[in-house]
Amino acid sequence: MRELELYFGPQHLGMVGNFSITLKVEGDRIREATANPGYLHRGFEKLMEYRTWIQNFPLVCRINVVEPDHMELMYAMAVEKLANLEVPERAQYIRSIFLELSRVASHLFGLWAYANMLGFDTVAQWAMYHRDLVLDLFEELTGGRVYHIYIWPGGVRRDFPEGFQEKIVNTLHSIGGCVPDYDDIFFNNRLFSERAKGIGKVTREEAMALGATGQVLRATGMKYDIRKVEPYAAYHQVPWEVPIREEGDAYSRIWVIRDEMIESVHMIFKLLDKMPEGKVFNRTPNPFKWKIPAGEAYVRCESSRGELGLYLVSDGGDKPYRVHFRTPSYPHGLTVLEKVLKGESIADVGNIMISLYVVAPEIDR
Amino acid sequence: MSNSIKENLISSFPDIQVEVPEKDRLKINAEKEEVISILSYLKNKRYGHLALISCVDWMEEKEFELIYILSAYLARDDEYTDRERLNIIIKTRIPRDNPEFLSVIPVYENAEPYEREIHELFGIIFSGHPRLIPLFLEREYEIPPFRKDFDNRQYVKDVFDKIPSVL
Amino acid sequence: MDRNQLIKWFKEPGRMAHKYSLHVIYFCTGCGIIEIPPSITARWDAERFGIIPVATPRQANLFLITGYVSLKTLKPIIRTYEQMPEPKFTVGFGSCPINGGMYWDSYNTIKHLDKYIPIDGWIAGCMPRPEAIFVAVTHLWTLIDKEMADGYKRYRKNYRYYRANQEQLYGKLDWPPLFPIEDEK
Repeated sequence: MRELELYFGPQHLGMVGNFSITLKVEGDRIREATANPGYLHRGFEKLMEYRTWIQNFPLVCRINVVEPDHMELMYAMAVEKLANLEVPERAQYIRSIFLELSRVASHLFGLWAYANMLGFDTVAQWAMYHRDLVLDLFEELTGGRVYHIYIWPGGVRRDFPEGFQEKIVNTLHSIGGCVPDYDDIFFNNRLFSERAKGIGKVTREEAMALGATGQVLRATGMKYDIRKVEPYAAYHQVPWEVPIREEGDAYSRIWVIRDEMIESVHMIFKLLDKMPEGKVFNRTPNPFKWKIPAGEAYVRCESSRGELGLYLVSDGGDKPYRVHFRTPSYPHGLTVLEKVLKGESIADVGNIMISLYVVAPEIDR
Repeated sequence: MSNSIKENLISSFPDIQVEVPEKDRLKINAEKEEVISILSYLKNKRYGHLALISCVDWMEEKEFELIYILSAYLARDDEYTDRERLNIIIKTRIPRDNPEFLSVIPVYENAEPYEREIHELFGIIFSGHPRLIPLFLEREYEIPPFRKDFDNRQYVKDVFDKIPSVL
Repeated sequence: MDRNQLIKWFKEPGRMAHKYSLHVIYFCTGCGIIEIPPSITARWDAERFGIIPVATPRQANLFLITGYVSLKTLKPIIRTYEQMPEPKFTVGFGSCPINGGMYWDSYNTIKHLDKYIPIDGWIAGCMPRPEAIFVAVTHLWTLIDKEMADGYKRYRKNYRYYRANQEQLYGKLDWPPLFPIEDEK
């Protein structure tokens, strides 16, 4: 049979985000796949060198559109490390609760994308509706639905308003009460397991050699989670477990996402019980004349897609000298995707790409 | 934990400088010829996760600085030891006028897109790389865009503002 | 429906049916894709305004350019726009297509999008709320009624200048001109 070259290009119903894959197919089977990133490249790291330390905060949360809060946390932690700032304890608890709410919202968005692509429209509508309830909480706390700019070097920007804790509890109860319905319609559905079992299989040695972290690695049976390996914020104060699966295919990855969402909801309840009183930020020096001593810092955390890291270099001035983000979608979308797509059929490309949980703006920055 | 790694490294590679700048971080300054042997040595000691390859442009000192950051995966499925908390940062300097380096793909397979990105944004040539073609950029620039002598705002004035609007 | 609407339906049924069923093409061009799924799902329901997403440009007549446009993305945008059948409308979503937005000094983003394709309306914000999309759609209906939403007619009339701007940015283009360009006398 003759070999054809097809573009699974940016304008496609199975593609969430602006990303393109070039496929060499023979019949229905893929012989070779090449990823073409670069449609969303803005030169972030160069733009950040022209703005002062405080002016970079509205810029840094726009790197990952679906989940902007972990980027703010990374930049704040790196600046605190270089400038020797302390964070009060109540702020650490608030940061953890905020990040876990963001993780729940991001997983619901991923569930919308995956269910929509497979054809389960009902579950897609439910997931988007529940995500909107969480975004209402964000809007009351920070003023914006999508971009928050809430985590600040030295703490968080403001404290919880009156009655906010009850609102969090009520929203999470109403989402958690629908989990049996989700299970009936989607997760235990025979159609989902027929379409996702055995597709896009990644073994543990392949995942370790290609630099994969996050759900891709946890679906092969290793409990690698930066919140347990190198704890930050308030994650070591409450008991919780890392969910894993064994097989390594698309089915296990979606089940790991579901288990993580439920674990996040339980973790928020435990953190709310244990939260102490106190102030929520330590004052930073005058932000217009803030010079940070020379040095470098590498910090890392666990975003909803995997290991996120930031390498920051300062030369003693009022602007950063070099900023480099290590984003989790970079190995997933470029090396793991090209390896996993060999031998699959064309109908499964969208399935595999969304189950690998790739977000295109994170690759290009 | 980092002290035992430090002693092992100093005994195997006598010319490098190893320091512990803070908790859970180990910094190694090496010459450019020794980097590949240090990376293979550390990979055999189970530091098999290459997290990042980065590059800093020190224009006044006329050097590029390449940075490799390594860490370890879990040995047993649910045991978190000090070995996984450690991040090893390896730094080396190459001259700015003739920048070229050896590719580390034979040791770490996932270094391929990092080296392509550094090649197109800084202009460093990695010998032994199977496909050193552009990754993000759509066109060629005279000075690679992330170097310190490329001025963003002047480029925007020269290229984008000169195009006339239609009515 | 009141008397004005009934009169309009009798006089111009084609235009009324056209404006109450705008089909959006599904193309996630940038940041703004994060507020499109909430608009088209159950909570902020866009289908009561007649808007549903479709798969190919041949079936669409509304193009929402959500967010910033990079150099690599502008080529598929122009090709998609030229494949849509007339009459077609474009709306720029977010602050970035207006004048560069937050990335005004980036070497890889387009600063003014209406130098390359014609735009009928803008929605400001970063990100705009889903209600802003619905307000923009009702404004677009008013413009269609008054025959002021004529981006596609401007493209046909001034194609020479649009094509010259595109070629000044990219050099030689891969696709032939959409309308024949006469040489200036």
